[in-house]
Amino acid sequence: MSDIARRDPDRVMRLARLGSLHQSRLSFMRVLTRRMARENWSFARPKFDIDAKGVGVAVYTATGPARTYSLIAFAHDLPPEMRSDRVIATAWDATFTLFDGVPTDADIARLAKNVPYQEAGRVDEKSLSVSRANRSVRLWAHFVDALSQGRQPDPAQVEAVGYLMRTTAVYGSGKLGAADREAIADRPELSTPFQAEMLSVYLTRVFVRDLVEHMARAKGGDQAVPLAPGTARRLGIGNSTGLGMAPYIVNHPVLFNNWIMAREEAIARVRSVETATPEAADFFRRMLRRSELSAARWHSEHPVQLEKLAGLAKDLEALAAWVAADDLLGNRPWDRLIRWSEDALGLEGQELAASLILEPYAELVDGLSDCMADTNKDAFIIDGAMPVARVRELIMNSFGWALELDWSARENCARAWYVSEEKLEPRMGERFEEPIADYEQPLAPARDAAAAHAALAGWDADAPVAAFLLHHPEHRHTVRRAQMSQAAPYGEIRSNTISDRVLPIDMLRAKLSFFGATHFDPRSDRWVRICMYAGAPYPEDLTTANADLWVYPEADQ
Amino acid sequence: MSYALNEVEATAKRAARGAGYDWGLAEEAAKAARWLCAQGLDGAAVLAGVLDAGFAAGLPAHVPQDLQGDWLAQAPLCPLASGAALSDCAARLLQAPLKAGPVFRPAMILPFAAMAARQIGVCVTVEGEGFQAVTDGIGLRCEGALPDTAAQLTIRAAGSLASANPNCTRAEPEEAAWAVLNRFAHKTYAPATEESRRLGAGAGLSDND
Repeated sequence: MSDIARRDPDRVMRLARLGSLHQSRLSFMRVLTRRMARENWSFARPKFDIDAKGVGVAVYTATGPARTYSLIAFAHDLPPEMRSDRVIATAWDATFTLFDGVPTDADIARLAKNVPYQEAGRVDEKSLSVSRANRSVRLWAHFVDALSQGRQPDPAQVEAVGYLMRTTAVYGSGKLGAADREAIADRPELSTPFQAEMLSVYLTRVFVRDLVEHMARAKGGDQAVPLAPGTARRLGIGNSTGLGMAPYIVNHPVLFNNWIMAREEAIARVRSVETATPEAADFFRRMLRRSELSAARWHSEHPVQLEKLAGLAKDLEALAAWVAADDLLGNRPWDRLIRWSEDALGLEGQELAASLILEPYAELVDGLSDCMADTNKDAFIIDGAMPVARVRELIMNSFGWALELDWSARENCARAWYVSEEKLEPRMGERFEEPIADYEQPLAPARDAAAAHAALAGWDADAPVAAFLLHHPEHRHTVRRAQMSQAAPYGEIRSNTISDRVLPIDMLRAKLSFFGATHFDPRSDRWVRICMYAGAPYPEDLTTANADLWVYPEADQ
Repeated sequence: MSYALNEVEATAKRAARGAGYDWGLAEEAAKAARWLCAQGLDGAAVLAGVLDAGFAAGLPAHVPQDLQGDWLAQAPLCPLASGAALSDCAARLLQAPLKAGPVFRPAMILPFAAMAARQIGVCVTVEGEGFQAVTDGIGLRCEGALPDTAAQLTIRAAGSLASANPNCTRAEPEEAAWAVLNRFAHKTYAPATEESRRLGAGAGLSDND
């Protein structure tokens, strides 16, 4: 019997589905913790100079087979009125840089003059990331109070928030003067995307635990107790992500394709498994039960997400019932499950099922994480010899659905993406109500594709596209993307990114799910809070036995 | 000051767009400036010079009038648009050399010659009065001084590269040129309004809890 094909990009690349993606074995956080455990990385805290007010600096090192990386953490005493997760903030509870190597005192002194100011400071190529975090005010105060008085924090409050600090930006790849991705991409431990950023957040979580214990000791003295390991383990690092991240997946079509295609290939491989072993079936059932626990701890106040969570709860019930009635052993069990889910479950449930069937199959799936970086720099180069007819065909493949749309209708182009003068960050506005159209960023590939397709119609089908581009440079970016789609069939979002109904949080979730984030909590249609590393072992506890499945909570946790 | 090459690319893209180039050419201008910086040349200064010439407002007068034959023109050729056309027509270099001129800031042609070299798999040589440059797509060897304007360039699939400059991983652009790029980039930023502050980045529930 032939293998199951990857799912059609037309099905996968709709925003509503991308906005329902879940973490998987291929998530960047899990790739990192698996590697660190497998390679037996060592960790240390060579510096923790923080005073009773919580001001100072700490250094955490992570050492792999070839290199050491250091998180330098600056702790600040932030007045409450200055605390904001918005990118327009100018001060934070803590600021960080991931340093390439072990910093000298001179390095720390130099970075202390820059990292706390974030966008207003400069770093150099010894920094691999720059980030900042704010406390969850309620939970932080509760933790310090409880621990300082010799008590453990209230588990209900821990569950309601999930983290003591949330990062509000983790900059990498050349931002603020840091090292370019290209300068580190050939290191095996950083070749999978965003490994430096994920390491920075992993170490940030250790710092936050240590800091809250330090503050409790400063307040309670001998009365204070350390945080119970089980509670510490439950804590993740929060993250607030706004619109700035949404354009990324449009601006990096080959990279985004590689993430989606790796996961789709993994799904196709597992669906092609003819017969599952009882161990694999049992493993799947256990991860499904643990997913139910995770879903039960997923809270949001946003109406869109509340509806999705209600749908997910129903989907999980239906999935449990289907799994209970099936042996999951013969006749391509995972393909049967996926086919059933396509009719029986909503998008949240379908994508959860698609991620979950990968769990028993490390040997089929995990190696695909090596294919998720963008190493095809020449995809940028336009093939000017390509005939006009072929370019039109490529546009049709990705954007056939967009060619018939009336792009002059207000509802179809109600929004425009632009960069604000104030913070040089992407924003989205109302095209017909704000003076922003002249500043529009090229983040509506579908609209632009329809325009290029129409313009190409008047040209000789056999003519090389170079001649067309000489006269129509305004379509160069679209022709480039069309040609990229040959190697990157999952590179284009197949929904309208400027319609009056577009939800940027769908774009954010698509990206963050590949980081391995959980518990997406939209705070509006354009920013979202998530949790990272909740359940993960701390460095001193990290082993190959617990390096991977920590993302699924266990009943006794 | 030392900049990451990604910073050069991001700033160059915004600058080219701000100077009036379409997004596709702005993307190419950005890669081109970055490539020059990776060769140890000041790609930011070269791009700043090109943008200051203001070709974008009347671009059709500053591109080859016909891709067939040589690209000889009255008005100076814009190296960004003409460079992009050169890369688009890379295969023709395997048939015969291409003459083009006059070319403004011929240094900006070199990254596009590199794109051509990568496509056809052989070195490309760009020659003008007083200089000769050879690229295999990755590296560059340049002898002589590149003029502000080259009366005529001869571009051919030829040459070899034994002593390419090592690729640089950082850029140190001349401050004045960097300021020019930022001045053009600024034109792409929408002035902040109260409404954009309130709505643009998506206010919603409290972010300080």
